[in-house]
Amino acid sequence: MKIKLHSVRVVASLWAGGAALLLAGCASNVNSYERAESQATPNYIADKRVITDNTLAGLVRVVSINQSTVSGNLLKIQATVENLRNSTRNVNYKFEWIDQDGMALDSANETWKTLVLQGRETTTISTVSVSPRAVDFKLKFRE
Amino acid sequence: MKQTVSSKLLGVLALGAMLTFSGCETATETRTVDAKGPQAINTAAINSQDWANAADQLINSLLSGGALNNAPRTPAILAVDRVINNTQLMVDTDLLIKKIRVALTNTGKVAITNTLGLGERAVVASEAAELEEMQSGKKAKTLVPDYTLYAKLIQQTDKNGKVTQNTYAFQMSLVQVKTGLTVWEEEKQIAKQTRGPGAIGW
Repeated sequence: MKIKLHSVRVVASLWAGGAALLLAGCASNVNSYERAESQATPNYIADKRVITDNTLAGLVRVVSINQSTVSGNLLKIQATVENLRNSTRNVNYKFEWIDQDGMALDSANETWKTLVLQGRETTTISTVSVSPRAVDFKLKFRE
Repeated sequence: MKQTVSSKLLGVLALGAMLTFSGCETATETRTVDAKGPQAINTAAINSQDWANAADQLINSLLSGGALNNAPRTPAILAVDRVINNTQLMVDTDLLIKKIRVALTNTGKVAITNTLGLGERAVVASEAAELEEMQSGKKAKTLVPDYTLYAKLIQQTDKNGKVTQNTYAFQMSLVQVKTGLTVWEEEKQIAKQTRGPGAIGW
């Protein structure tokens, strides 16, 4: 009985040690620091979300989306994206543009891009519409 | 009874083996994928998605920087200068430049001239201008470009054990012809790591 108890303790210690090593080995989380009171005044927009992949939505989150105009009349969209997990993650994203009549513009820069997010990292992705006709956008994510 | 079970078992095994081996002889399969998407075959070289991403990043930078806001006219006349390929790859640099040209033309802020610069297009355009001069007897009016676009591709290869990293730098500059000043510059990099055969895990 004593031997059995001892064996359980040894196994438990090994498990704990292994888990600690594993977690330490995988740690690639990002610590970030910024001004306590931001001086920027972003133009945040209300967004509508259509989730068809709950797993992906549980891994990466869109925190906010803001917009501005560049080069006079070109729409620029920026999304703040957060990795909800502790491990480094690759996700693909694409911006699509829509004109005043609701027609897709199929612009030259509508390409899938790979985003590498470190553990718990928050970063921004952005794009500029190459057509002055763009008034709306769609941001898509996939694994 | 025993013999029947054995023969059934043999039959099942034979069928399984047949299916397994026939599975190995699959015919060549081709599927259409999004050339600008993650399904594009990823290699140590610059693939179709990399070209698209590099072009997109450069365009975003150029348009966000506002360099074209001070253009003397709209659309500003742009001539594409030489594109230097200093990589080990035999690539057509139009894979990058054409995407930039299309995007800039779509903005309506730039019109690209073909009467200056290098290549077939420039020769055809200049010959067309000469022909018009000959036929009309009037000096053909050629628009002088406001800007020239210059690009360079560089490859750096680093190796550590079985891992090879190819870093491709896409450099681009916009020069104001009148002043000779560079009004916008950008460098975007794409790094690709490839692990050699025989390694276990990544």
